[in-house]
Amino acid sequence: MATQTASTKETLTVEQKIKKVRELYADAPEIGKAALEKGIHDLEREFAASSVVQNAGRIGARQGKVSEFTVFFPFGKGGAKRLRGLLELLEGNFLGADRVGTVHDMRFVFLDNDTKLLFATTFDGEWDAYIDDFATKIPNALDLLFCDAVGWPGLRSPKVKDYIAEHQVAAEAWYVGSPNLTVAETRRLERVGKAVEEFLDKVQ
Amino acid sequence: MSLVHEGAVGSVSVSAPTLELHEIQATVLRQRPAPYFGTHVLLSVDDARAGREALRRLTPYIDSAAGWRIAANAWLSVGISYTGLQALRVPAESLASFPEAFRFGMAARARQLRDEGVNDPKSWDPPFGTSQVHIGVSAFSDSEEKRRRALAIAREQYEGLSGVRVLSMQDFGAQPGDLNPLGYKDGIDQPAIEGSGVEPLPGQGPCIKAGEFILGYPGEAGVPLPMPHPDVLGRNGTYVGLRKYQSRVGAFNRFLHAHGATEDERELLAAKLVGRWRSGAPLTLAPDVDNPALGADPCRNNDFNYATDPHGRQAPLGCHIRRMNPRDTELTRLTDVNIHRLIRRGTTYGPPYDPNALSVEADEIPRGVYFLFISAKAMATMEFLQQEWINEGGFIGTGEERDPIIGRQEDGATFTIPKEPVRRRIHGIETFNVLRGGEYLFMPSLSALKWIGNLDETGSIEPKER
Repeated sequence: MATQTASTKETLTVEQKIKKVRELYADAPEIGKAALEKGIHDLEREFAASSVVQNAGRIGARQGKVSEFTVFFPFGKGGAKRLRGLLELLEGNFLGADRVGTVHDMRFVFLDNDTKLLFATTFDGEWDAYIDDFATKIPNALDLLFCDAVGWPGLRSPKVKDYIAEHQVAAEAWYVGSPNLTVAETRRLERVGKAVEEFLDKVQ
Repeated sequence: MSLVHEGAVGSVSVSAPTLELHEIQATVLRQRPAPYFGTHVLLSVDDARAGREALRRLTPYIDSAAGWRIAANAWLSVGISYTGLQALRVPAESLASFPEAFRFGMAARARQLRDEGVNDPKSWDPPFGTSQVHIGVSAFSDSEEKRRRALAIAREQYEGLSGVRVLSMQDFGAQPGDLNPLGYKDGIDQPAIEGSGVEPLPGQGPCIKAGEFILGYPGEAGVPLPMPHPDVLGRNGTYVGLRKYQSRVGAFNRFLHAHGATEDERELLAAKLVGRWRSGAPLTLAPDVDNPALGADPCRNNDFNYATDPHGRQAPLGCHIRRMNPRDTELTRLTDVNIHRLIRRGTTYGPPYDPNALSVEADEIPRGVYFLFISAKAMATMEFLQQEWINEGGFIGTGEERDPIIGRQEDGATFTIPKEPVRRRIHGIETFNVLRGGEYLFMPSLSALKWIGNLDETGSIEPKER
């Protein structure tokens, strides 16, 4: 299932890109054709900028210090019901993720009549850097969430990285608002900002 | 078999070993002696038959860890790269069972290792990164005489075999006071390994599961790491990340002089970069002045944690030893510090540290360290360390700052020394140790060496041993 997007992209000039996008949209719906003509100047600016996307480890995209991670897991029998039940009880509280300190967000989406789980997250660094740490520090939190993925080997298994990579799908495109802000840096800046305001309150 | 039998080091208490020490190469568990003398030889195998014969002949002289207490002897170790295993015609099925990063080799993993800019494999010294390095043989000893004898024994086994070429020979050690090229005593803090029979030194922490360092035993997660096939090839083996660093002594001294007006200020700054004084005395135990007696005492020089220094006012949060072993420092990311440790065998080469060398020319005098980083998952650990603990600072709350000793510094890089009332931030820290080469080697067990040596052209075991 893992489909690495081709990394050997040719470098095109803005003119070449414009030509190519016109070709792509030549048989687009009328709305698309009209949008292309009206929006061509904005596109030119975007085409002129240099690429901001790198690879994040084995699969996936990275911008600055932040990476994207998307997996599709097939659910085993009764798996969707169990996970939905657990997620409802958690009410959005993921203390394990808080402790991990590299996770910006996580989303769990159930697809195709509850037969597949889409799990997507944004995180700092390379995706597999801390998997071994999860295995010794918070294996239960993750095994509870993913035990119903068909073939899930368990977080302590040496096979878990390969299992995850096999189910990972690279995003075709991905945007990050603050590519240089890690979770740790964001938390630090929150503390610093608060401290500065307190300091200014005292000296005013 | 030991090459030389005199001079045992005593005074080491021993707990019962549970590892198969007679199978594990001595270098894995043996500290280098002090003083130490040695040579690294890199070989290329042009003919599989000759390469296997060299291995067969060398194997009886490769020491096992069973004699680790006799650290005053000379010993030989051997490691084989992935291209070396290919050149020796190890069966394809076995080759495929090695981890991906090992198969690719260190140069090909430059992006994951952050070996970029001045550390890019493009500017490495030959023969590193050329796929030509197949076998590494190292001789360690406690005297120049024994080094020569051990090396002569090694050379007899491969010289004269057409099809085995010597690519390079590098002597190391023989440093006054056993100091590293920047003038520090080093190699102090090593991980303690469960079942190795080596009693941990005070401060070495609880023993780490052997499987983190040697293949075939349970690791910290409770299960053994994946091992090359067949069992005889993988079991009791481990991986070595060999890294050759060039120390830019002039740049280092210029930095100290630019930011320290007096000798005392410079020595304190040098200590703040590492977290230890040059004597080895840790700042946590000797925060204001050096204590050479403390530095020299293995029972005291590592016996500390950071509970009393959470903000790094003694040992800066970003100093070298706090990065390489954060101990009980509160980290910003969920981390198990026990699974990112490496056994280090640092071997210094070239002329000794010169505190008066300030010139740009002094940066290029060939001197530095050949590091042997040993672990059952050396590739993954080195990539983690290079990404997270060496060329980053976020994990310990120091933003983009990098390891002041082995990090690769960008233009305008800083180093922060926490202080009351206001921290001192030094601008313009440079790269003091430049990477000039590296290879991943598999360090097989003694049985695995015999197994490889006795393969035939079809990749099966030859019926008769020589």
